[in-house]
Amino acid sequence: MNMFHYEFMQNALIAGFIIAILASLSGSFIVLKRYSLMTETLAHSSLVGVAIGILTGFSTLWMAVIVSILSAWLIEYLRSSFNLYSDAILAIFLSGSLALAIIIVSLSGAFNSSLFSYLFGSILAVSNHDLIIMGIFGFVAMILLIGFSKELLFLVYDEEVAKTSGIKVKWLNYLLITIVAVTVALSIRIVGVFLIAALMVIPTITALQFGYGFLKTVMLALLFACLSVFIGMVLSYMFSLPSGAAIVMCVIIIFIISLIINK
Amino acid sequence: MKFVAPVFEVSDLDFKISNQKILDSISLKIFTGEYDAVIGPNGGGKTTLVRMLLGLQVPTSGSIEIFGQDIKKFQGWHKIGYVPQGTTLVDTSFPATVLDVVLMGRASKRGFFKRYNKEDKDAAYNAMRQMNVMDLSQKMIGSLSGGQRQRVMIARALASNPSVLILDEPNTGVDKNSQHLFYALLRDLNKNNNLTILFITHDVGVIVDDIDRVFTVNRSLSTCNNPKEAISCEDISKLYATSAHLLHNHHGH
Repeated sequence: MNMFHYEFMQNALIAGFIIAILASLSGSFIVLKRYSLMTETLAHSSLVGVAIGILTGFSTLWMAVIVSILSAWLIEYLRSSFNLYSDAILAIFLSGSLALAIIIVSLSGAFNSSLFSYLFGSILAVSNHDLIIMGIFGFVAMILLIGFSKELLFLVYDEEVAKTSGIKVKWLNYLLITIVAVTVALSIRIVGVFLIAALMVIPTITALQFGYGFLKTVMLALLFACLSVFIGMVLSYMFSLPSGAAIVMCVIIIFIISLIINK
Repeated sequence: MKFVAPVFEVSDLDFKISNQKILDSISLKIFTGEYDAVIGPNGGGKTTLVRMLLGLQVPTSGSIEIFGQDIKKFQGWHKIGYVPQGTTLVDTSFPATVLDVVLMGRASKRGFFKRYNKEDKDAAYNAMRQMNVMDLSQKMIGSLSGGQRQRVMIARALASNPSVLILDEPNTGVDKNSQHLFYALLRDLNKNNNLTILFITHDVGVIVDDIDRVFTVNRSLSTCNNPKEAISCEDISKLYATSAHLLHNHHGH
């Protein structure tokens, strides 16, 4: 196919696969921890980073990563240190950061098509510089996820027993949400702020339908995520669609098929 | 004789929630090899006390030592196996086999970045054999009955070769007929593995004949050193004025 001769398309595909791998791996733990809303919240927080980037002229991707990580830590701190309802904290951050992002963007006078691409993803947006950042962060995050997978599985299955057995659960919780924060921020180029949560959550939910053990379930989620990213990008190229929207529609179609198969 | 530090030594422990005393100057010692029960009415603070022994809650004042070490500095948590209440809801689609779950008991021993090795798998199989769940090893954890899951949770705790086993309401989900077998199994573990066992129950009827000591927690603590004569232990009969006949019948007095 001709489309893969273009450099932008090659960049987009590599970036897409990095995101698919990270989103499905970290997404498995987040879904099992019943923390799916965290991804949506952090996506909105990264938009604040993007807005600051647009306003100040710094790299939007770097700003998104930094703001997303800081929000994740603040949320985790509030959740563990105060007796607040954790989903209410997420709701506050979710709408609060969107409001803040919109104000910053308005001040910078940048309500335009470049913002649109951050919201819904674009295959045209991945520069070589972006790819290097995604590659480095993606590699480190993946090694950490694989290296700590048995501890993370224990943590999401039964946090209290994991703690009493000597696992440093507080530390691991911070590690997990930091990885999620980075994944969410890196993905805004391809999938977009409003759609990344779907790519983190739905492949795992789809894989769970098959009723396998942990390793097979994660592998299936990974397969579904990569497949959706590939097909979504091809569709995005062919019909000039925002890539995030096309990818998420693929994720959802695979989910519906798996529901029917496993009925 | 060499001095052996108690497994748990609790001194003058208080716990308050917004000025209301949940636990009032509790002191107790539990020694290696004991098979003890913690009983008390719902809301009496027995689960709170045990959660403090596990470091899951921090007392308002007082001290807890584990194997002679202050709980804040204690590092040997792998020596303590904890089995939470069987009613703890597990998502039925959680993607883990029984073997996956039992192996979790080895996670903190193996350390980061290391996969489970043959030693871990042997320990897991051994624990599953002891708890009679070997044939379930490839089943999904969510597909088990309450009683089966309870035994798997104990197998997970045993997989780390602990010296202490703490169980919260272990008879939940176990049908009445197999309760005696269940407690006999715990007794075997206690004798054969020299495992110190402490279990919580709200059901006085289950207190078995060969238990070593009974701790009654109802804000304050009283210890009954001879449960065979539990009926004469004043505090227990006072606490369970209405259910005392249960104990009576159980022991056939």
